Amino acid sequence: MRGAIAARRLAPYVLLAPGLLWLVLFYVYPAIQMFLTSLWTGNIQNGYVQSWNWGIYPEAITEYWPWLGRSIVYGGLATILAFGLGFPLAYAIAFRGGTYKNLLLFLVIAPFFTSFLLRTISWKIILADDGLFLGPLKDVGVLPEDFRLLATPAAVVAGITYNFLPFMTLPLYVALEKIDKRLIEAAEDLYAGPWRPQGTIVGLVLGGALGVIVALVMDYSPLLIGIPMAAAGAAIGTFLISQAFIRVTVPLALPGIFAGSLLTFIPAVGDFINAELLGNPQSLMIGNVIQARYLKVTDYPTASALSFILMLAILIGLLIYTRLLGTEDLTGASI
Amino acid sequence: MTDTRSPLPDLTRRRFLQGSALAGAAAFLAACTGGGTPGTGSAAPSAAASESAAGSAAASESAAASAGATPAQGGELRWASWIGYIDVNDADQSYPTIKKFEDETGIKVTYNEKIDGNESFFTTDLQGPLTAGQPTGWDLIVVTDWLVARLARLGWLEKIDTSVTPNFVKNLAPNYKARSFDPDTDLAAPWQSGMTGIGFNKKKTGELDSLEVFFSTQFKGQKTYLDEMRDTVGLAAIKLGYDPASITAQQFDDSLAVVKKAIDDKIVRQVTGNSYVEDMQADSAVMAMAWSGDVLTLLVPDQKPTQDFQWRLPKEGGMLWTDNMCIPKGAPNKGQAERWIDFYYDPINAATIEAYVNYVCPVAGAKDEMLKIDKDIAANPLIFPPDDYVARLHQFRAVTAEEETTWAEAFTKAMGL
Repeated sequence: MRGAIAARRLAPYVLLAPGLLWLVLFYVYPAIQMFLTSLWTGNIQNGYVQSWNWGIYPEAITEYWPWLGRSIVYGGLATILAFGLGFPLAYAIAFRGGTYKNLLLFLVIAPFFTSFLLRTISWKIILADDGLFLGPLKDVGVLPEDFRLLATPAAVVAGITYNFLPFMTLPLYVALEKIDKRLIEAAEDLYAGPWRPQGTIVGLVLGGALGVIVALVMDYSPLLIGIPMAAAGAAIGTFLISQAFIRVTVPLALPGIFAGSLLTFIPAVGDFINAELLGNPQSLMIGNVIQARYLKVTDYPTASALSFILMLAILIGLLIYTRLLGTEDLTGASI
Repeated sequence: MTDTRSPLPDLTRRRFLQGSALAGAAAFLAACTGGGTPGTGSAAPSAAASESAAGSAAASESAAASAGATPAQGGELRWASWIGYIDVNDADQSYPTIKKFEDETGIKVTYNEKIDGNESFFTTDLQGPLTAGQPTGWDLIVVTDWLVARLARLGWLEKIDTSVTPNFVKNLAPNYKARSFDPDTDLAAPWQSGMTGIGFNKKKTGELDSLEVFFSTQFKGQKTYLDEMRDTVGLAAIKLGYDPASITAQQFDDSLAVVKKAIDDKIVRQVTGNSYVEDMQADSAVMAMAWSGDVLTLLVPDQKPTQDFQWRLPKEGGMLWTDNMCIPKGAPNKGQAERWIDFYYDPINAATIEAYVNYVCPVAGAKDEMLKIDKDIAANPLIFPPDDYVARLHQFRAVTAEEETTWAEAFTKAMGL
């Protein structure tokens, strides 16, 4: 009897042990090592000593804040764009997928069967200056001859968005799929009809603002992108968004939105492959800096300090975000 | 994409950018747990290495002692190299020339295509154990000039006993002798070389033969530079009339300024590793600082000079880089490594490998052997460069420890990092 109670008391720890051990070995230990490395001084010729040179942190931030900032902006934009693409997709699969649900879900994850690298390299072929997509547009004169998508910030953000889209779509799908459709019907019966005129205004403002931000980051004319985006936002807000959607669907989908945006944003900020293959020297991200500092300059302390700073920045952002969205919803409904 | 020899267009053996990027991430973790205090973090790999070394240590000591003038016989050779860097029998994926060596010498060769980047190989395989004074687990490694220079500076290489490698002494092409990082020619035995010059799409650019185009506004945004400091800065130095083999700090600054200006003015589309190949195939880039081997094996799969994609050694000159066979400090099977080096410098063996590999062969006499195997290859200037090529080829000098860091830093800054 006592044995049974003891076993029951131990069970959670036994169950936790493998995961904890894994985390300690492959996360905590390397993180501590990385932190210690950041406080070395020296070079490969004369070796390194643990000098506790805390000054490296302010130095690294002063020198590399533009790259840190750029990474957060690119990662944030990619997350918003992935949400813009992923939400309608997940919604369509969850609510209108019918018998094709599983097939559609499979298609969402199908790109994962190909290596991340090959997928990114294939973009170089698809988006080539004279390729499948741009070539015909240039031939008919829609685009100027010297227009290009590759080797621009736009290509980097687009590449990140594409590569992490499934991380956004799947949690959204899980959250939307669970929604009891009768709740939406009930809301509609209770006059939660079209969301006008608020929807028009909100759509106009959000679409326009996103367009202007995208344009500024990408170095295009703000009006050129802002006006069509504002128009699109207004149209979506007017005709596609109902009050039932705002009051029932979105709140219930919140855990999915939270999980999806984190799963997209965190790897997106640290990504360096897209910037390396699709970007130009003016659009490199913090991951590229860390890689170059580490491998090319063999400046291990700065590389480690930057990695640590990036980790802390993401952690702090995460805490604020969790506060804003509220934790209970997330832990309560995310599974 | 059109390459028939390799399923992946970017799997050239050299500086496989993406591979090294991924390996770099792994190396980052590896070295975060190593380095610092010698012998603590790096305990795992070096322990494994010394364990495997212990078994053969006794054998090799006696081999080394009796070496003197008699070449090694039997035992084993553990060799780290790059992908696509030796002849392969397509039928059973065996290595015919290694097989021949094994049959002749009784030495068992473990050939591992382990290296996909000099930087990452240095961090994952060499730095930890050699800092701690342990053997690396490799008896022979193939690394590029600048890494040889670094290893030599750190005292991490064994001297090749040239008394047991008569072929190496006799057949090493003259322009490889007494290089700045290896004055006595006994630290590094050249394995393959490549040239860095102008790769271009003739259909779009017409004939090109001058370095000037890299720095002019012609084809703005349609040309790429290389992410290897010695190639890109080296070409800029040649353009300015300097010799990279004796480049001074001032000349380096001048050359880098030219590079930086071109990047800042957005004349340069991207600074890349091997991935310029995709950009050229897709017509996004019309000209690139390009490695001769890439152009041979990727851009021109059938190696006919009638293709659109061409490579030229600029009239002002180009860069020559070399991957070298080296014996890391404390390698237990040094005698076996020397035996292989001597074997390779037999022209017939070098020619056999060259028929498959398509890089520049450093073995004098291999061209004559190649004439018997394949006349086209023997006549190809990208594999057997004629004298007027050799006269225009420059090698970047060995840099000091301080220059290695400050120049790399300055170059990565110019690259936008």
